Amino acid sequence: MMTRRFWFLFFLVFLILLSLPLWGSSFYMFLVTEIIALSLFAMSFDLIYGFTGMLSLGHATFFGAGSYIFTLSIIYWQANLWVALLLAINGSAIIAWVIGFFAVRARGTNFIVITIIFSLVIFYLSFYYKSITGGDDGLPLKVPDLVLGFLSISIHDNPMANYYLVLAVVSLCYLFYWRLIVSPMGRLFVAIKSNEERTQYIGFNTLKYRLISFVISGAFSGLSGALCSMTTHYTNNKLLHWTTSVDVVVWTIVGGAGTLIGPVMGACIFTFFREFISFHFKQYPIVIGMVLIFFIIFIPQGILGYLLGLIRRERK
Amino acid sequence: MGIEVHLFMNMMNGLVWGLIIALIALGLVLIFGLIKILNISHGEFYMLGAIFGWYLIQYTQNFWLALVLSPLLVAAIGLFIEWGILRPTEDKPIKTLIVTLGISLILQYTVYWFYGGSPQRIVEPFQYHLTLFGSGYSGYRIFVAILSMAVIALLGLFLQKTRIGLWIRAVKQDQEMAIAVGIPTQKVIMITFALGSFLAALGGVLAAPIFSVDFLMGLEVLPTAFMVVIIGGPGNLMGALGASILIAELEGISSVFVSPTISRVLSLVLMSIVLLKRPEGIFSRARR
Repeated sequence: MMTRRFWFLFFLVFLILLSLPLWGSSFYMFLVTEIIALSLFAMSFDLIYGFTGMLSLGHATFFGAGSYIFTLSIIYWQANLWVALLLAINGSAIIAWVIGFFAVRARGTNFIVITIIFSLVIFYLSFYYKSITGGDDGLPLKVPDLVLGFLSISIHDNPMANYYLVLAVVSLCYLFYWRLIVSPMGRLFVAIKSNEERTQYIGFNTLKYRLISFVISGAFSGLSGALCSMTTHYTNNKLLHWTTSVDVVVWTIVGGAGTLIGPVMGACIFTFFREFISFHFKQYPIVIGMVLIFFIIFIPQGILGYLLGLIRRERK
Repeated sequence: MGIEVHLFMNMMNGLVWGLIIALIALGLVLIFGLIKILNISHGEFYMLGAIFGWYLIQYTQNFWLALVLSPLLVAAIGLFIEWGILRPTEDKPIKTLIVTLGISLILQYTVYWFYGGSPQRIVEPFQYHLTLFGSGYSGYRIFVAILSMAVIALLGLFLQKTRIGLWIRAVKQDQEMAIAVGIPTQKVIMITFALGSFLAALGGVLAAPIFSVDFLMGLEVLPTAFMVVIIGGPGNLMGALGASILIAELEGISSVFVSPTISRVLSLVLMSIVLLKRPEGIFSRARR
């Protein structure tokens, strides 16, 4: 019953997304493309926070790194689109592995502190190497054509192709995540969240699995960053900034951690909000801070968690 | 200027900066020792101290008034934040941490609203220059170092000799036992939070004439303050003092030879090594 309703909603949303280019204006298509790319970031953050129970406040590092690797590999090596995307995934995975190597050894508050410190220092580095990163002016980007066998499709001037490419990649990633969390390894992540000590007693090397979760999350955050710069034809070091890390935390907590779809809803709500409010009210982070505090104190399970709770109560 | 003069200058600057960092980090460590939460908005108290200082100096032209009044104002804000916002979640450290994240956003952008985004400067309150090693050194910075040391010594006396200090130490050791023997724990936490905000804001006013004042300056000291907490050991006050000076000197001395950003990365490496080898901090007695 529950699952049928879920699949119905799922296909409805998917159909709406598939048909969007037929009826949406170009502005909305651009916005929705960006939201879909960002929702991969939100899901990746949810994997380590909602499932493995590690709060990283430095996830902007991977998002920004993916975006920069994508952009720089195209600018300097004229990389093919697929190669650039793969480089972005692998590059951010390596960065996540290096930071994670230190971070997963720390627990609780120390873990959070280390992710903050690393991300802030990397942000400073991006300022220092301004000649490469473009600093806060950023780097413009000419996205190469998408090559599928003998077919070559322009992504740069064709928002519709770009939209479908982003939608396809993110849908695949969603299926991957969905498969991952029901797999034994995904169960193990949840076990680590609920009680790491007991998981160790059963005989699992929890450090290893925490690191795996961190690296997967980092790699797909990087892919999300790459998809974002593919859409906006642009990257700057604001993506590496602390506020990007805070954004994803807010999406996840407001949407509902540990639900995979909840953070996507959060990303959707806040991106729309930012798009329409920031023009009139430049201090909108004040509102974000207030919403965050409200949710933590009164609805800690987030919007989707709250709704699921309602459904569960109704069934009893 | 020879390299040894340059080196000496950087060591002096490192000491001054280290003592300011110590003022900020001591508050952070005090709060962490008590309720095991890491206050992300702590950097904002430093920023607020400098901002209030700037406003007070604009209106009264009196640095000394700002030096006293601004930390008191910030302490009142800290008191309110602890009492009004943090208390409902204080038993859950991660939740409280996220709440302080929200507070940080609210404080930063409220300041941005009224104060604007561009950095402002405060002139040094007195233009006295000492001659050290054949070159001038700002007397104000020497004053900052001496005042910070005096405040840190006073803090130590306060914790060791007064009744509230005793209570703070008791709550730090065992909160439940402290309640059992009749210590008003909530009040102690509130006072400690206000004390921590006071110290950070004092650091902010003192640092304002040396650096510029803007709404993101809290975010800039945050990584350094956190490194201090990790290197000194969480909840360890003497460790925090030592680590502050160690980090500031490391960054100061190494910046003679390499760029400041690289020296920042060096302290990051130091922190990572400490974390792997001695997670309880380098100044704690080995307890395994």
